[in-house]
Amino acid sequence: MSDILKVENVTLQFGGVKAITDISFNVKEGEICAVIGPNGAGKSSMLNVINGVYLPQVGTVTYNGVTRRTINPRDAAIAGMARTFQNIALFQGMTVLENIMTGRNLFMKSTWLEQGLNIGRAREEERSNRLAVEKVIKFLQIESIRKTPVAKLPYGLQKRVELGRALVAEPKILLLDEPMAGMNLEEKADMSCFILEINKEQGITTVMIEHDMGVVMDISDHVVVLDYGKKIGDGSPTEVMANQDVIDAYLGVSH
Amino acid sequence: MIYRETGHFVTNYLKDREIFPMTFDKVVALIGLLWLFLWVPTTSEYFLSAHVIPILAVGLATVGLNILTGLTGQLSLGTAGFMCVGAFGTYNLMLRVPDYLMSLPVALLMSGIFAGLVGVVFGLPAIRIKGFYLLVSTLAAQYFVWWFFNSYAWFLNYESSGVVAIAPKFYDYWGLGNFLGVDMQGYPARYLLALVVCIGLSYFAKNLLRSNTGRNFMSVRDRDIAASVMGISVPRAKLLAFFISCFYCGVAGGIYSFLYIGNVDLMIYEVDRSFTILFMLIIGGLGSISGSWLGAIFVYEFPIVFTWVGDFIFQGAFNTAVVENVSNMVYGVFIIALLIREPGGFAALWATTKQKLRMWPYPH
Amino acid sequence: MDWVYLIEVLVGGLLSGVMYSLVAIGFVLIYKSSGIFNFAQGTMLLFASLTFVKMTENGIGFWTALFIAAGIMVIFGVATERFVIRPLANQNLLALFMATVGLATFQEGFSQFIWDSDVHGLQMNKFLDIGLLDPNPIFMSDHIPWLDILIPQFDIFASLVAGLMIVVLAFFFQKTKTGLSLRAVSDDHMAAMAVGIPLQTVWAVVWAVTGIIALVSGLLWAERVSVSFTLIEAVMKALPVILIGGLTSIPGAIVGGLVIGVGEKLGEIYLADVFGGQGIELWFAYFMALMFLVVRPQGMFGEKLIERV
Repeated sequence: MSDILKVENVTLQFGGVKAITDISFNVKEGEICAVIGPNGAGKSSMLNVINGVYLPQVGTVTYNGVTRRTINPRDAAIAGMARTFQNIALFQGMTVLENIMTGRNLFMKSTWLEQGLNIGRAREEERSNRLAVEKVIKFLQIESIRKTPVAKLPYGLQKRVELGRALVAEPKILLLDEPMAGMNLEEKADMSCFILEINKEQGITTVMIEHDMGVVMDISDHVVVLDYGKKIGDGSPTEVMANQDVIDAYLGVSH
Repeated sequence: MIYRETGHFVTNYLKDREIFPMTFDKVVALIGLLWLFLWVPTTSEYFLSAHVIPILAVGLATVGLNILTGLTGQLSLGTAGFMCVGAFGTYNLMLRVPDYLMSLPVALLMSGIFAGLVGVVFGLPAIRIKGFYLLVSTLAAQYFVWWFFNSYAWFLNYESSGVVAIAPKFYDYWGLGNFLGVDMQGYPARYLLALVVCIGLSYFAKNLLRSNTGRNFMSVRDRDIAASVMGISVPRAKLLAFFISCFYCGVAGGIYSFLYIGNVDLMIYEVDRSFTILFMLIIGGLGSISGSWLGAIFVYEFPIVFTWVGDFIFQGAFNTAVVENVSNMVYGVFIIALLIREPGGFAALWATTKQKLRMWPYPH
Repeated sequence: MDWVYLIEVLVGGLLSGVMYSLVAIGFVLIYKSSGIFNFAQGTMLLFASLTFVKMTENGIGFWTALFIAAGIMVIFGVATERFVIRPLANQNLLALFMATVGLATFQEGFSQFIWDSDVHGLQMNKFLDIGLLDPNPIFMSDHIPWLDILIPQFDIFASLVAGLMIVVLAFFFQKTKTGLSLRAVSDDHMAAMAVGIPLQTVWAVVWAVTGIIALVSGLLWAERVSVSFTLIEAVMKALPVILIGGLTSIPGAIVGGLVIGVGEKLGEIYLADVFGGQGIELWFAYFMALMFLVVRPQGMFGEKLIERV
């Protein structure tokens, strides 16, 4: 299978601090790629570079055959990237349904005048996009909290809603930043199922940052290991497990 | 119990987003709406002119500010400035465009668009400036607009007093009054025009709020980075919010000058009024259209009721200064108390009351 | 163009800029320690100076009145923390801003309700025998022969007081224990709380100190523009100052004040004709701030925010 995403020699600095140093890796179409590493390894920054939230100083990201150094987050969304955030970036003042509906905004073609008058295309779009949203709501089993303001939901459910918001955009590639952080075993199992199903049934390429090694080894096809902003491992889960640098980074080295 | 929500099932997604989902609500709303039109003969000109029409004007401005501040999260202290553009725009359109081309409703609409464009100009910095820093742009709008109309006497048709009365011929409506045999300058006719505009624009705002545009606005308010990651154009959303909001304020300014006080007077559009409308918004509840109207009614009526109480119970014990000071204190207390107890304002209080009534008499 | 005239304009601008800085410092203090944009700063000025002036009008001596007014401001500050800020501690910044708008409205009504809405003059030289309070300007040519400009003596006095206040504040922040906790709180609320700094006490102190700053700046402003509603309007002018300065920096507030003061005077002289009308000082400060912020959205000394997601 071809590479849908190629990260080449990316370096990202904040002032004098290097968050990412010269990182390259490829993501194949249709795979689940896990990016792992200790805290502060630059994993989230990596995702932020891929969809344009941060602008790297050096390096390029090739997505869908187009090579660019920087991309506008909106253009990334239009090109089919959707993502979730480490610290949940749901719209706190809106309900679950409204939040997930925002994921469909690129499908809405009616003008604000039509929407204000509630006529023609605007009505039809509300209906057809709601249909698509309801499918995702059903898939994620959150029917009962449809009309609940997200601020009132527990953490695990918020993570699920955020996944839903990314999913309704019908992305080509899904970037998930710690989708299972702070979850209990049961919730993790649910979330793993969702991610696997999204990947296998809908064929959506997934790049995922995750700390839980058990989950990573179980569901990912490909693992990239970062440490202190550098790449120290890249390969299948079994290869990475055997990599001495990775073992050192996780277990420490005796001096 | 006549009013029950049990047994009401939504059978398709369009029905799920209706403003009044239940038949009972629909009937009540319809009757209420009809009554707003039909009660005119039963009321006095005084009541219309002193209470109803001004509330319609400031309430509409509150709805406008709500779109910008409540929905999109862009703080504005320039409301009165944008109203001023609307008032002066309406006046100059009526004055300078030949009568056979221009009529008051058209002039209101056009000056609303004009105020919207002015709003977009002062909204441009919002693309770069965030949060409290944006106050400077809206205050610049407020003061610049005021200064501008004060400095260029042409806009007031060189009226040296700074106040220009509105000529009766401006209420001609292309001869509609003569045709119907109705005094179009009278308060009942003014009221009906203001009412139609306000109902129409409230309906428009309500629709917008539950549509994609409204959701985009709220996403910019709640988390602008996440919004852009979803593919929402944050600058476009902000500028559109400025345009629509200032359109509302402009039309409200036109209504205030033409349908309420009957003259164009710069003093009405000073920064104090921007604050008054902000009070209405906060007390009514950010993000709620009906809340904006409740807030407008409360803030506008409080001093009047308070004076009335003073006159009847304490034999006119309160002079205007006392009324003004007490009103300010009450607004302040209400704002703070509501923010602490119920940040959603009157609109949320209404919703909680409804919820409690639903449970009554078994609250658990 | 006469360059001596230019110097006079610059000096005048700098001196009136000091007045803006004075108010701006109060804003910055509260913003820095709690992230609250305190819109009630103007009404605090009004309340403080009105309280003071009503006392002196009723025969209380200058220093006694000053002391009592300061005490009342402290009580007011502590009460504000207790009844407004503390219950809202976990709300977002917009809600807190709106609460201070409410506080401002309340204070505006309250101070004029318990005192009155009249315009009071304040002649400090009735009480204080300081030469600098003399309304007559100094002719600089008496001292430096080639410098033929006028400097209002009162403005020099105001600058001295402002300078003194900044020194006292700097001492308070750098050398006292309370100051240290204040700086810790302004750096990071949560961390400060974790090491046992009583957040609420610190905030109460900040509001009390702000109340005293409001009294001092209120009296200086009142000497210039009288004690009345106009004080609140004068304070609206301090908004562009703190926004240029960057909301979190006291040096920023001072530099911002000077920039606005000078810019306004220069604008009035060189640009008024371009705009075909007088009175552009009504909006010119806001435009300057706007231009500045478009180039540098976080203000001159403000912290650049790296938005983490």
